[in-house]
Amino acid sequence: MLGQIKYAVKYVLGLDRAGNSYTVYPDDTFLVSYPKSGNTWVRFLLANLIYPNESVGFSNINSLLPAPGVLSKRFLKSLPRPRIMKSHEPFDVRFRKVIYLVRDPRDVAVSEYHFDQKKRYIEPDVTLEQFVKRFIAGETSSYGSWWEHAASWIAARHGNPAFLLVRYEDLLADAVGETAKIAEFLGIAASRERLQAAVERSSADRMRKLEKQQADEWTGTKNTRQEIPFVRAAKSGGWKESLPAHCVEEIEIAWAPLMNFLGYQLQTQELDSKTIPAWVRTGQPL
Amino acid sequence: MARIGVKKHLIAGFKRGLGLHTPGKSLLIQPDDIFLVSFPKSGNTWTRFLLANLRFPDEPATWANIDRLIPDPTGTTKREFDRMPRPRIIKSHECFDPRYPRVINIVRDPRDVVVSQYHYHRKIKKIADDSPIETFVKRFLAGETCPHGSWGQNVVTWLATSEGSPCYLMLRYEDMIADTPRELRKVVSFLGFNTTEKQIAQAVERSSAERMRKMEKEQPDKHGLMKGSRKDLNFVRAAGSGGWRKDLPMPMVEKIEAAWGPIMRHLGYELVTQVPSEARDYEALGIFTGTPH
Repeated sequence: MLGQIKYAVKYVLGLDRAGNSYTVYPDDTFLVSYPKSGNTWVRFLLANLIYPNESVGFSNINSLLPAPGVLSKRFLKSLPRPRIMKSHEPFDVRFRKVIYLVRDPRDVAVSEYHFDQKKRYIEPDVTLEQFVKRFIAGETSSYGSWWEHAASWIAARHGNPAFLLVRYEDLLADAVGETAKIAEFLGIAASRERLQAAVERSSADRMRKLEKQQADEWTGTKNTRQEIPFVRAAKSGGWKESLPAHCVEEIEIAWAPLMNFLGYQLQTQELDSKTIPAWVRTGQPL
Repeated sequence: MARIGVKKHLIAGFKRGLGLHTPGKSLLIQPDDIFLVSFPKSGNTWTRFLLANLRFPDEPATWANIDRLIPDPTGTTKREFDRMPRPRIIKSHECFDPRYPRVINIVRDPRDVVVSQYHYHRKIKKIADDSPIETFVKRFLAGETCPHGSWGQNVVTWLATSEGSPCYLMLRYEDMIADTPRELRKVVSFLGFNTTEKQIAQAVERSSAERMRKMEKEQPDKHGLMKGSRKDLNFVRAAGSGGWRKDLPMPMVEKIEAAWGPIMRHLGYELVTQVPSEARDYEALGIFTGTPH
């Protein structure tokens, strides 16, 4: 009962956590991804790009490029429009303009495993093998499985001019070039120097340094195991060393068609040909 | 003006304190919840009556009690949700939501859906009586006639994510019309209910279009779907399939099939026009490839 009164008072003052019930405006842009797919990195990239005079860090990222769910409705309303916000939601019809960031699920699995250890979401003795099984079933995240997430967005929006699909791997390979694409999508006329500066200010090294200084000032790292870093490898293909072969196979069997579409080369040889779309077998380009 | 706004806001806050608000998207979902999901005007209300009559054989479903028997997060209060016997069967029009533990998804031919929604919007005075169906179809295709996305988006987010999952049952409205007991048997086995053939027959009987029409006449203002709407138009309309063949002008049929032909084909809805070659190829997107996930 006391909790309900507290909630009522907070609601009246607009201080209740927005959760899922905040107002989305038609001119909002959302940076959407499954967790552990490079969302925080791109948040830094965008914040540095949009606010070249701010010192972007973990302590202020939530006000520069907000995560609406954990903020108050009053704060979200006070933001200047058009707003750019981050989200991990699977398809949400209210989001009109979306940058969809996607990452190889084999790397996502490894990254999420470490993150969940850091956050104490899983017991320290849970093995990667055990984790991957639950990861495939979509049990490790409240946002659904990697497949559900990517399929819901791609099926509903791919090809729409207000939907920009960005692969984490492409960002790693050419951060300036990919950031330029995002800037164009956002209608930001950015010079090469400005793009380069944003990329440098968001480098893994710099983010690691900031994490050391500000770990207690950000919800992602506060009260977590400090011996496990949030900014970890920041690379692609790490699964080849750290993911057991049978885990790789399980992921590929589950999600081959979508991985194929996204250009993530499969390692498993004897996948049933029916699971691979015809155009892949005929070699038609992406 | 501002004062009225403040007063309304305070009342809303007070209601929240008592749990008398409708939870909407912040509904607390229980692991044994069952969601009855569909795009609007796809037979959701009929199926709601069917499921209510299956689940609660001692309390025949009516327009007055349906929001309590099969609650709606936007029409039933939080307090009622908290007091419901479990497992709860909850109505929804939302696109894919990974939090829904078990889903019964009703899908209907979009050519019939658009005609049905057009008439419903005339009934609830959302559009003028003489508003042309052509204008409506255009808005329907753009997903502007309701807050749950376009038909294609709504349906494809469910199919692309959930087809093949043991926690997902897709039923076509057309199959339910053709053989209701057969489709209800699928529901019963999906939910693991101990329902007898006699109870299924009773649920079908109690949810017949005739009975629902009769109750609509007797309780026209008992439900939010009809409150304050035009009484000269019925909520329970044709309750059939294929009406589009006479009600929907051919150029409109062509537009719908051009937009959603691949999804319609996937669902087994026969197309009558040529789908343009640039229509979205879902298989190329890695979707509808028949892999269970």
